[in-house]
Formats: sequence, structure tokens, C-alpha cells
Amino acid sequence: MPRNLKIALGILSVAVLIGLMSLHGLHNRIERLSESQNTEEQARRELLTAPSSAPTDVKEKAEIFWAAGPDRTAPVEVELTLSAEPVRRARQVLHALIENTPSPAQRTLPPSASLLAFYILQDGTAIADFSDALALETPSGILSEELAIESITKTLESNVASLRRLKILIHGQEVDTLAGHVDLTGFFDLNPPGQQTEQPAPSSSQGANPTAPAKSPR
Amino acid sequence: MHTGPLVILDPGHGGADPGARGPNGAVEKESVLLIARIVRVELERQGYRVLMTRYDDSNPSYDDRAATANAHRDAIFISIHVASTGTIGTVHTYYYRFSSALPTVTGVASIPPPAPPGGLGLWEEVQLPYTDASHRFADILELELAQRLPGSPATSSAAPVRELRSVALPAVAVEISSVLVSDPNTLLSMGPPLATSIVRSLQTFRAAGSAGGD
Repeated sequence: MPRNLKIALGILSVAVLIGLMSLHGLHNRIERLSESQNTEEQARRELLTAPSSAPTDVKEKAEIFWAAGPDRTAPVEVELTLSAEPVRRARQVLHALIENTPSPAQRTLPPSASLLAFYILQDGTAIADFSDALALETPSGILSEELAIESITKTLESNVASLRRLKILIHGQEVDTLAGHVDLTGFFDLNPPGQQTEQPAPSSSQGANPTAPAKSPR
Repeated sequence: MHTGPLVILDPGHGGADPGARGPNGAVEKESVLLIARIVRVELERQGYRVLMTRYDDSNPSYDDRAATANAHRDAIFISIHVASTGTIGTVHTYYYRFSSALPTVTGVASIPPPAPPGGLGLWEEVQLPYTDASHRFADILELELAQRLPGSPATSSAAPVRELRSVALPAVAVEISSVLVSDPNTLLSMGPPLATSIVRSLQTFRAAGSAGGD
């Protein structure tokens, strides 16, 4: 075998070996990245879907609005451990709305949906950031989307009196519609004047949360 | 040649957006286009002029649909949808519900009042001055539908249906239940009663002199 050919074959073998090693390393990195993303998403979901409770939280009756037919919701009284602090209280009742549905027929929000974040601005505007599942798995239609929105707004109205309006985000983004019909670019009214009920007074806001306890606009 | 009042029919979805899908093959974008064609034929037979926001499997943006409508005056906009849920054979009618202005600490509305009908206003709030007219037309239409399609509610509902928001005309959405039908052709049988209800309600609405805004 000519010497040049031996050298060329040697170089080619080394190149193939290096290529295989790189490919193996790349594959491992992709796997690790995928695992870390899954773990991160799982950890975030576990953290966010189970609202923390504080020693000051008390057991009380809450009204959660689940479906009472294809086009209306009705309140169901349930006993929950609730905070007096509006942000945590709102997260607790929305968590109950998704997780504690009494029967499949009463479900208004997809079971895989979760509340990623909840903020309250100084003027009483609440911002609820839901996971993609809310938009992807809510049945498409004005009727079904309105039912989903109504269950969220009425549950918040009934349990967090200081809220004035609600903005719904999907995975941190403003989207055109919930599932093709109901407009999410605007706000939903909460506790219109004249319909407000007495609720526990808000305590101090949550730690470093960039929100402020809601206050009455008047 | 049709010389009567103008009706703009808006079959929802289209193209890559199928809308609601049923387990037995019903697809919202297809059903609403066929139903809109049935309604169009009946309206034209009654002397109305009809425009559609789409004539094929295209998907104009919400703004394009609104722009088609806003190029005309003295017209009615009707968006047609098929639901994923609800009692099969019923129809719900909707008009746009805007969020009320958030009061400031002094009680003064924090957003400016809407422009009068026909005036210049924010594109996102163009429907606002037409809300009452849309509500009246929606109630008349729903009453007609309830007579022909038993089980339909007697009054319309307020809902922020995206297509209606930027339409500078009395505008409503009708949603037929539902894609759960065992045979997708069943939905087409809703076309004639829907068309008759629209014709009757247009006559009542116009006779009451409510075609414009408020």
C-alpha cells in the first residue's frame, strides 16, 4: 500500500473517530438539556400549582364557580384554607377551581392548566398568567370559552373583593383569544360598583412579589 | 341586481385555523362557510345585498374582516360560528361586551369617552358606540331564533367575541351548537331557519329605525 494512501486512511480514521466522539457528546448534551427543561417545568408547575399556605391562613367557606350546564356556572360552597392576603387568596381559589372540580361535567378549565403567576396592581387590576394548556385545551367556541372565563372571574369576584378587573395572559404573553373566539386583549370587569361584598381586610403584600395589595379605587 | 340594505356575513376561522372540530368529522371552518352561503342565498332572494368576509378556505385576520365591514355604512355585520358544546340544534347570539372604564380615585373614567358613530375612534374600540344597537339587534335575532330553533335562549348574551371588537357597525355573532353532531350535514339544516330569522330580525330592526349607532 502506498505511503500516501496509508497516511490518508489514518487521517480519515482519526477524523471519523473524532466525529463519533463529538456526536456522542452532542447527544448526551441534548439529553441533559431536555431532562433539565422537563425537570425545570415540572418543578415550576409543582411550585406554582400548589399555592403556599401560611400559619395565618384560616379555614373558611369559599364559593367556587363550576359549570352548571353548557352555558352557565353556579357557585359551590367548599371549605378551603385561605389567606387574607389578596394575591395568595386569589391563587388559592383559582387552584381550587382547577384541581378540586367535583365532577367532570362541572369542569370549566382543562385539568392540565395551571396558574403560573398572579399579580395585583395598585388600581385593583389583577393579572393572571395561565399555562399554555388553558388556551390549547379549552374547547374552541364562544360558549365554552365564556364558561371558562366566567368561572375564573366569578370565583375571583366572590372571594377577593378588592379586585376591579382582570387581565388574562397565556404563558406570560398577551394573546388575541382564549381558544379562537373570546377576546383576551382587553380586561374583564370584577366586582362592579354596587355589587361588592365584605371580605377580610388585606394584610401586607407578599415579600418581594412585584405586586401591591389591591386597594379600593374610591 | 340586489339594491336592498347590506348584510356582511363573516364565516369564522378558515385556512390553517379550523376552529372547533367534532368527533364525527364536523369542522367549524367548513360548516360556517356552507351555512353562510345558504344564508346569503336567502338574503339575496329577499332583496338584501350580501358581502362575505371570506368566500373560500382563507383566513382573513380579525382586522381584515373588520376592514371589510368598515368600508360600508348602514349595514349589519353577522359573524357565524359553530360551538364545541351546547345543546345540539340551538343557537346563541352575542354582542360585544367591553370592560367598563376603570374609575380613578376621583371617580372620573380613566379612558376618554368613545367617538360617536361614524366618528374617528381607537381601532380597538370602534364597536363601542354601536354596542347598544348591536345589543338590540342581537336580542331581536335571538328571539326569532328561539321561535324556530327550540331550546335557544330567549335573549342574547354579552361576550367579548374578538371579530366584533373593531367593527364600526351594529355587529353580532351567532354560534350554532355544535360540532358534536353525529352527521356534519345536520349543521347545514340550521342554515334555512338561521336565514329566515336574520331576514325577520333585520326587518324588525330597521323598522324600529335602529340601523345606526346611538
